[in-house]
Amino acid sequence: MEQLQNKVPCREEQLNDLFNLLGDGDECLPCSIFISGSMATGKTLCVNSVLRCLNYKHVIIDCIECYTPKIIFETILSGLEDEEIEVKCETLMDLVNGLNRLQETRLGYDPIVLVFDRAERLRNLDANIMSAFLKLRELCNLNICCIFVTHLIYENFNFRRGAREPIKLYFSNYNKEELFRIIFLQQKPFIHHLLVSYEVDNEIKGELEKPELFANFLNAFLSVFYRPCRDLIELQHMACVNFIKYCEPIIKNEISATDLTKLWRHISPILKSSLELLYLRISDAKSVKPSPGKENSDTDSTPHNFENMLKEELTSTKTFAQSFELPYYAKFLLIAAYLASYNSPMEDKRLFMKNHGKQRKRLQQIKAKAKISEKLNTQLGPKVFTLHRLLAIFYAILEEKIGLTSNLLAQIATLVELKLIAGSKEIDLDTAKYKCIVGYDFIAAVAQTVGFNVRKYLYDFM
Amino acid sequence: MCGLQTENPLEVQIKLIRKYLKLKIMADNESFHGHPQERNHVYDLFKRTVAHGESHSALMIGPRGSGKTTLINSVLQQISKEVDLSNDALVIRLNGLIHSDDKISLKSITAQMQLENAVGDRVFGTFAENLAFLLSCLQSGADRRCKSMLFILEEFDMFCHVGRTQTLLYNLFDITHSAQAPMCVLGVTNRIDVVELLEKRVKSRFSHRHIFIFPNEDSEGAPHAKYRDRLVNTLCLPRTKTVATPKKKGRSRKSTVTSEDLMEIDQETTSLPDSILSRHTDLQNLDQEFLQDWNAHVTGLAEEQKVLDCLEKLCYYTVNEQIFRNVLFELVSKLSVNKPYIDVSDLSAIIDKTVAPEHRVKLLQSLSILELSLVIAMKHGMEIFDGEPMNFEMVLHRYTKFSNSNSSTQTVPRPVILKAFEHLQELEIIMPVRTTDSIYNTTDTTASRVQKEYKLFTLAIPSDDISEAVKNFKALPTEISHWYNNSVV
Repeated sequence: MEQLQNKVPCREEQLNDLFNLLGDGDECLPCSIFISGSMATGKTLCVNSVLRCLNYKHVIIDCIECYTPKIIFETILSGLEDEEIEVKCETLMDLVNGLNRLQETRLGYDPIVLVFDRAERLRNLDANIMSAFLKLRELCNLNICCIFVTHLIYENFNFRRGAREPIKLYFSNYNKEELFRIIFLQQKPFIHHLLVSYEVDNEIKGELEKPELFANFLNAFLSVFYRPCRDLIELQHMACVNFIKYCEPIIKNEISATDLTKLWRHISPILKSSLELLYLRISDAKSVKPSPGKENSDTDSTPHNFENMLKEELTSTKTFAQSFELPYYAKFLLIAAYLASYNSPMEDKRLFMKNHGKQRKRLQQIKAKAKISEKLNTQLGPKVFTLHRLLAIFYAILEEKIGLTSNLLAQIATLVELKLIAGSKEIDLDTAKYKCIVGYDFIAAVAQTVGFNVRKYLYDFM
Repeated sequence: MCGLQTENPLEVQIKLIRKYLKLKIMADNESFHGHPQERNHVYDLFKRTVAHGESHSALMIGPRGSGKTTLINSVLQQISKEVDLSNDALVIRLNGLIHSDDKISLKSITAQMQLENAVGDRVFGTFAENLAFLLSCLQSGADRRCKSMLFILEEFDMFCHVGRTQTLLYNLFDITHSAQAPMCVLGVTNRIDVVELLEKRVKSRFSHRHIFIFPNEDSEGAPHAKYRDRLVNTLCLPRTKTVATPKKKGRSRKSTVTSEDLMEIDQETTSLPDSILSRHTDLQNLDQEFLQDWNAHVTGLAEEQKVLDCLEKLCYYTVNEQIFRNVLFELVSKLSVNKPYIDVSDLSAIIDKTVAPEHRVKLLQSLSILELSLVIAMKHGMEIFDGEPMNFEMVLHRYTKFSNSNSSTQTVPRPVILKAFEHLQELEIIMPVRTTDSIYNTTDTTASRVQKEYKLFTLAIPSDDISEAVKNFKALPTEISHWYNNSVV
């Protein structure tokens, strides 16, 4: 028990509950247990380690892997067999028969636990399957218990016909202190990771291994990251990446390990910038070794550079947009498409014609001027436009006069191909309808390269 | 806890009690209380079919957890004591959950009649032929008249396949009208409108005998009095029928081993329709004095006002027997050496947890502050626009408006906010609205082809839960609760 609690920190209450419910080997199991809780709260870990500790016969079914009833049934039956046997099981009846046969032949009244991980997937299957598993104990005469592990709450599972109520447990998320405690346990691997990537002499190594340093780092780290993210897995990953950066000046002897304010000043901009990388998992180029064997020695640096490039491209929309290297006219076509998507056709005259006449101010228009933010075009998403409108706007925003060549039309097809515009690839002059599917940031970056001000032509910003 | 064996006699006793009570709560599906009239009705039907060879059909209707199956079990058990059930009759149990179509049902019927060999590889033209063959097998096999058959169809509504023909039901009900074989068909369901689901030809063959079981029908006085009785009934241990063996004290290690041996025998026999209570031989290891103590404790518990209040609360929410059993199970599983008696506060905590789990509030509270802010932003937005669905851009707009007005909050880059939004979506706190979006033809389900920033969502959580979560959120920055309460900006 002690050992288990060290392995699964900060989950004492839940572990106790599970132990109590599952009881001892010769006791009755409950009919079914429903465990819910947000991602990365240790649900699966708790269940698995408790079951391993109790040494019950159990099968863990990952409902992503087992996407049809047949696979689920067969996994259960073959999991309960001792040796590897091909099991055929098509229907629930076969499963129940199979379980009963097992009971007669070998298992007797030994406790059996079926764990359905990511049970939310069960909803995609036939609705009856989950209700049947909820009362599996009644359907076959085994000492069997089904545990459902999911990040949804029980209310999200609505059974049309009602079902036998399970015993529900909830795993709440770790709070800041608990996160601190858990990540702190990772100090050794972090340091190890650090030492692998850098050559450090012994004196500094001693400095780095001090727990105070790591604790200080974690405090700083969590103060930035706790707010947007409580996902342990993600936080651990980010902590690992940032700890290396935290230690860099110490290794280079620029800042001493005890100078906390300086270290904080050093790390806080880094943390802020890496906040942008949260969830993106763009690996730090340094920690990734190019896979051996495939590359020749002289091209070794290429993947390295490529990784860096990719990282940069993904981090800012601007560089990403530039990485497309579109032709000059294609850029204008894209801008025209964006304007066509985000302006209403009613305003075209006003926006794009030189002499659009004086605007009469009517009450209606004044009202329309008091724009409601939620009804802005830029917030409602792109609208559909026809090819005619696209070309009209294209010629309006393009200063020079060019002919409408097939080359130009082919550019549209290219944009569609690149998934910058949604629509049909074939250009049909009469019926084709398009929609621009890139965001404002992207368009602004493209427009900048051709010296065009998009904002000026957007009705929302007038 | 994990298989530790100690010399402490108290621990052994507690373990035995715990095991015994768990068995009683979970495995006992035969002892039935109340509803004497309905029980007699079912008993009568079965008895007449088995003993006099009459044919009947009936439907038993009652909500979940009202004891329908238990009633049938207890009736069957009673009958088996009176007549030779295994020789005179065949009990065939089908469950709509498992036997989801007629083919499977027939296979199962064949298996339960033990006629697989007789059928072999024979091919039948129709369902009726097959069933008739099965019946004739029974007839010719035995030297006398055909055995009576009790068909018990649980989840009866599942057999009324919508859109498919109800061949099985038709044939079963048809046989109850012909003199082919004495047969009783009892459907068990929780759908009160189940007769409406039947085909016309099936309906006309059904006897329209309904047996209703409603949980609170026969209780006089306060409804929670029934729960109290059940509590005492379930948790008390029978004291009289065992002769205490002298070896239980001191040598507990030995006694647990023997008890396990006895348990083996014991478990094999639980499938017999005999009462489980009388078969628990490991009860012999229970100390009589201790039992007396325990029973006194349970009856004392039932007198306490707090316990009564808890039970009353429970029965305001639910009259489901299964839920009550779950509560008892949790209660019993908390027993241990350090806590040899049932704690009233435990009971109330478990009942609170069962009737009002508030997992939704807890779910909200385990969101990160950014995610909660998005939920609040969305709630405000939907308040302003009368529950119109919102997309990511709108929520983001509201959120940035808030975070700009509060200089203390750190700004978070857009991709991270988008990810937080997706996280909410994954937790089904917000649900996508099915929209039909223009350009692509209507047959195409376009919801997936709209950019994710513009997909429309509604909040799938009642605003009361959000208020509750915000109120009790630990370490929530004040500006956020302020923002929430001062609402619409």
